[in-house]
Amino acid sequence: MTTRAPQGRTRPGAADLQVGRPGVVWALPAALFFGLFALLPMVLVLVLSFTQWSGLGSPEFVGTENWSRLLDDPVMLKSIGLSLVLTALGVVTQTPVAMLLGVWAAGHQWNRAVLSAIFFVPLLLSAAAVSVLWRAVLDPNFGVPAQMEWLFGDGNLFGNQSTAIAVLVFVSLWQFTPLHALIYQGAAKAVPPMLYEAAEIDGAGRVRSFFAITLPQLRNTMITSVILMVVGGLTTFDTVLILTNGGPGTDTTITAFYMYQKAFRGFDFGLASAIAVVLVVAATAISLVMVRLSGYDKMRSELEGV
Amino acid sequence: MNTRTRKSLTAAAVASALVLPLAACSSGDSGGSSRPENEIHVMVYGDATNKVEQQMVDTFNKTSDVKVVLDTIPGADYQQKLQTIIDTNAAPDVFFNWGGGSIEPFVDADLLLPLDDFIAEDPQLQDAFLPAVFNSAVIDGTPYGIPMRGTQPVMLFHNKQVLADAGIEAPQTWDELLAAVETLKAQGVTPIALGGADQWPTLMWYQYAFDRVAGPELFEKALAGEPDVWDSAESHEALDKLSALIDAGAFGTNFDSVKFTDGGSPALLRTGKAAFELMGSWNYSTHYDVDPAWTDANLGYTAFPAVDGGKGDAANITGNTNNFYSVLADTRYPDAVRDFLTLMYSDEFVEAQLAIGNLPTTTNTEQFLDQAASPEYAAFQFDLVKDAPHFQMSWDQAFPPAAGTPLKIAVQQFFSGQIDADGFIAAMKSLPASR
Repeated sequence: MTTRAPQGRTRPGAADLQVGRPGVVWALPAALFFGLFALLPMVLVLVLSFTQWSGLGSPEFVGTENWSRLLDDPVMLKSIGLSLVLTALGVVTQTPVAMLLGVWAAGHQWNRAVLSAIFFVPLLLSAAAVSVLWRAVLDPNFGVPAQMEWLFGDGNLFGNQSTAIAVLVFVSLWQFTPLHALIYQGAAKAVPPMLYEAAEIDGAGRVRSFFAITLPQLRNTMITSVILMVVGGLTTFDTVLILTNGGPGTDTTITAFYMYQKAFRGFDFGLASAIAVVLVVAATAISLVMVRLSGYDKMRSELEGV
Repeated sequence: MNTRTRKSLTAAAVASALVLPLAACSSGDSGGSSRPENEIHVMVYGDATNKVEQQMVDTFNKTSDVKVVLDTIPGADYQQKLQTIIDTNAAPDVFFNWGGGSIEPFVDADLLLPLDDFIAEDPQLQDAFLPAVFNSAVIDGTPYGIPMRGTQPVMLFHNKQVLADAGIEAPQTWDELLAAVETLKAQGVTPIALGGADQWPTLMWYQYAFDRVAGPELFEKALAGEPDVWDSAESHEALDKLSALIDAGAFGTNFDSVKFTDGGSPALLRTGKAAFELMGSWNYSTHYDVDPAWTDANLGYTAFPAVDGGKGDAANITGNTNNFYSVLADTRYPDAVRDFLTLMYSDEFVEAQLAIGNLPTTTNTEQFLDQAASPEYAAFQFDLVKDAPHFQMSWDQAFPPAAGTPLKIAVQQFFSGQIDADGFIAAMKSLPASR
């Protein structure tokens, strides 16, 4: 454990100064940047959520009107549920596929290296390009559904809530699995081979090795990957905008998209700011809970005793 | 200084928080004095028509000491950009818009110049334009816009070959349309192509159904702040007519997954999988770009069918009446702006627009129609617009922007059966009021 901090020091601050550790000044540029472009706008958005403003003239204070409108807004409540459903489905579908692919790609055979390079192609495409591509592939009259009526029926994938959500989940799966597979691949490569050798001597097969060695060794990686998926899921926007436009009706209008609609289509910046505040609070709460539950904040190495 | 600083800060907050660029950073006094000397800025929607706009600017600048500068804004960002800068020092003197609801919030904020004085000085600024078009930029009896591009009426297009194979003619009445739907279904053809995922093509069906059944007055009242008209007997009748058409299978079952904008619904018409499509006049060039020979031989077009016993005149049309130039109230050179606007009814303007396939809405357009890219089509459209007692602009543009999204959502939900007539009426009644 070479990285472990030296023990038994009484005044770590003084020692830091002696070895020339960076002081507060070093953090200033990043702190200023963060304050100016993240904290200040957040505070102003909170202020704006108590006003009515269309972008013309000055914002007009209306007290808690936006907030009471939001509480009574069925679309808003529905959008929160939809965001959570989409996020959960994203985690549930992407995690197993990414893990299996990543572990498989961690092998040293040359064909695996070639195939993984191909699998990672979707990573190079922007979300907008991916959405446009799938929109064309899934056209009901001229795309894949027209050729596979036994599976897709009349091909009205974007006309029903369940199929529209399925398309969004599938496209995210297609697009983001490579990223997470890459993370798992790196972690799986770091598992010491001696663990597998020992298991083999004990008579464990491949499946047993995976569950007894690989999976526990990937625990911290899984937490990292799931947090990335949750954050990505809650802020999904471009795929919804291009693939479903929030429809049919409001059936795929997730919270982030609803905020966009109110702000930049309806020019109701007060209400949109209130939605933004809800989004910030919800995302912060969820990630805090996840960090606590998973013990990410006091994460320890899985290699103790090796 | 305080209000202005606060406004800049809030503007910056919204922009950076919602991650969209913002071009407004203002300080100092607003008003004519801070505008550039000897310059008029004209802001337009960036697309292929800009070359005509540039030509008009060049023509004007040849003889004027005050020079016009054309600022083109990439199309998709236009409305946001305009909303952001119109109340700042960076505001243009003259700007492109869609008339109606698109400028109403600016009129309410006293930002726009009423054009009465210009028209008093040069009556041609009103008289040289077709009234049905000019009127869609008149707000509460005061004109605020001069037509500056082409008109785009919505027509019922058809595939001539498919109709001939089915042995039917293009329908003149609603009942003939219903009969055609039955015949075409029996032939295994989707009667009507509809890009429902775009939502606005679906809206066109409501605009015509309500106009033919109830006349233009119903929508005008709704717009003027009488939402109860949505619950009238005529409104119910129009919705019943649409329901009957949907239930008859006129649009097939998967229209909510089809778009016009990605070429999906035009391809249905062109390949003969569908027989009709209700669409704006740009549909002609959409097909012509893909297959000129097919378009010349097989693309048919008629006015929307009449409804027997309906209150609306069968010659009424809907669509985009035109685009307009509106003028900021604090422009520094109003006289130069007025002179620039007079070019919008000049022969040079009409010829340049026709040459790129647009149909201007000036009274002198008629004498140049034989110069159009497709004279027969241009003449049909021009007569349609000229003879229309009423030209209804698209509902989503007649209402202010805040109503656009809820309106289109209700339109889509009623067509796909998610809400019934009562649900649609409730949604329309709760649209953000016009004023």
